[in-house]
Amino acid sequence: MKIIEIKNLKKTYEDNSIPVHAVNGVSLSIEEGEFTAIVGPSGSGKTTLLNIIGGLDDASEGTVTINGVEINRLSSRKLTDFRMNNIGFVFQAYNLIPVFTAKENVEFVMHLQGAKKEHREARATELLKAVGLGEMMDRRPSKLSGGQQQRVAVARALASKPKFVLADEPTANLDSKSTENLLDIMEQLNKEEKITFIFSTHDQRVVNKARRVVTLEDGKIKSDITKS
Amino acid sequence: MKTDIKLAWRNLWRNKRRTLIAISSIIFSVLLASWMRSMQEGSYDSMIGNVVKFYSGYLQVQDTAYWEERTLENSMEVPPELKQQIKGIKDVTLVSDRLESFALAANHQHSKPAMVLGIEPEAEDQITAISKKIKEGEFLKTGDNSVVLGRELANFLGLSVGDTLVMIGQGYHGVSANGLFPVKGIIKHPNQDFDKRLVLMDINAARDFYSAYGLSTALVVMTGDHYQVNHLKTDIGNLLSPKNTVLTWAEMQPEIEQLIQSDRGSGIIMLGILYLVIAFGMFSVIMMMVKERRREFGVIHAVGMRKRKMAVVVLFETLFIGIIGCSVGLIVSYLFCLWFYFHPIPLTGEMATATIQYGMEPFMFFSIQPSLFYNQMILVFFISLFIAIFPVISIFRLKITSALRA
Repeated sequence: MKIIEIKNLKKTYEDNSIPVHAVNGVSLSIEEGEFTAIVGPSGSGKTTLLNIIGGLDDASEGTVTINGVEINRLSSRKLTDFRMNNIGFVFQAYNLIPVFTAKENVEFVMHLQGAKKEHREARATELLKAVGLGEMMDRRPSKLSGGQQQRVAVARALASKPKFVLADEPTANLDSKSTENLLDIMEQLNKEEKITFIFSTHDQRVVNKARRVVTLEDGKIKSDITKS
Repeated sequence: MKTDIKLAWRNLWRNKRRTLIAISSIIFSVLLASWMRSMQEGSYDSMIGNVVKFYSGYLQVQDTAYWEERTLENSMEVPPELKQQIKGIKDVTLVSDRLESFALAANHQHSKPAMVLGIEPEAEDQITAISKKIKEGEFLKTGDNSVVLGRELANFLGLSVGDTLVMIGQGYHGVSANGLFPVKGIIKHPNQDFDKRLVLMDINAARDFYSAYGLSTALVVMTGDHYQVNHLKTDIGNLLSPKNTVLTWAEMQPEIEQLIQSDRGSGIIMLGILYLVIAFGMFSVIMMMVKERRREFGVIHAVGMRKRKMAVVVLFETLFIGIIGCSVGLIVSYLFCLWFYFHPIPLTGEMATATIQYGMEPFMFFSIQPSLFYNQMILVFFISLFIAIFPVISIFRLKITSALRA
């Protein structure tokens, strides 16, 4: 089942009055349960593409349809709610709320969704256990390593039961062991929970784990390979 | 809402030192503003207290025509029951009759127009503490048929205690008034004009002299302080017949009221400058708190927090700083000014001498009127609300992609 459909997507911005085509006519479909890596050199448009898919940035042209909803047409407020209910985000720099504990960070999105306290606590505990942080739930981000913070970020991304998770360079700041650990967790969640993951990455280890690899160059799809 | 408050509260203590500096600056500002206002209002209280004790009292009941045309023809009869009713009003501490008119005061060689003030000696002494101003002889007693003179008038007429004062004037309904009165005492009145013209005598002696039997030109009403005057004016006014009116000290001496208002105005300008400094201090802290968290705002908006909710969190943060600073500032200020209220700052040197010459106590007095303190608190609270507008605007202008790059 198609959950994301991108048609002729373009994003142009001006740099010193010179138009730059960050994304230049990308069309792409993502099926439910995919584990997809979007790769390419710096400036190829990976992050811009991910931002537009995630409703964080506007497209200059083209459409992004998620689960049948054309997100370009949503008002700012509806788009915010749409992101909350449909998309999980994992950022390169973890970006946890520093004044909340790991558990509170995971609960945060559920709180925004209006979930009851008992439900929030139970799901946050379950997710943190799933990412191997059952013993560190009450620690604040400053008391966790980079790898542990990124695992909390994954748990946070999954807390709202999203249709898919967008991860922008999730392993860029992690050492090898933490990267392996994180990828294993995400792969397991993908296989067991059928959660769709879309990564933008430079990391070959992520590419190796991905079952589909979309390569961008100069804002265009250069190749789109699904591994057997 | 609970999570928003929790988030705001914890954000506040991310950088404890900065938050404490911001709160301290509010505390010191409230303290400084309250102290300034307390000193200002304390000096007004003292000034008003002294002014009313010179002559007017806090309130006077008069015939409606008397204030515009001060003649015996506009005097009034004060029924004893009215005096009792006024005495019975809450906060009234003293009520005293006066009969005031003019006469030519003379000795065997000189004469001078004088202000003749018939008083109830014991009550009047409680109002003006005039017996303390006696320089020669003694003060009057009820039933005396003698006079007390201002020192300059006595000097002009060459009279001293035991001499006789001749007075010639016009009594009630135009009858002639003349009499000889022994000088019982001489006072040094702090008001130079009074010192040159004042003749004090027992009210009944004055009534006899002017043939104004049973009449008074004013009923002086005293209370604890000038803050009670407005409600007393209403309460007393309710007891009076349409022929009589009640005037406050400010209505009788509008120049004092104007002086206070203009001085208060300049004090408020100073306060305005102080609050501007507070506002900029708070503004810089709040904006710093928002700017350094741009990326975080981008993230929480990305994961689904609406901008309106984010603005509420920032609003809470600003209010927390304002409320904590104001509350602590209020307590500290009150205690600080309370100490100065009971321990006024003594004046020294020429300032002390000048103050004493005007018949005032040589101290810098402080006021502890609650409104002085909570007004500062309310003002700072509204300043913090106003300041919150700017971070709220910056949140509504937030663009996620640029925030995530911050």
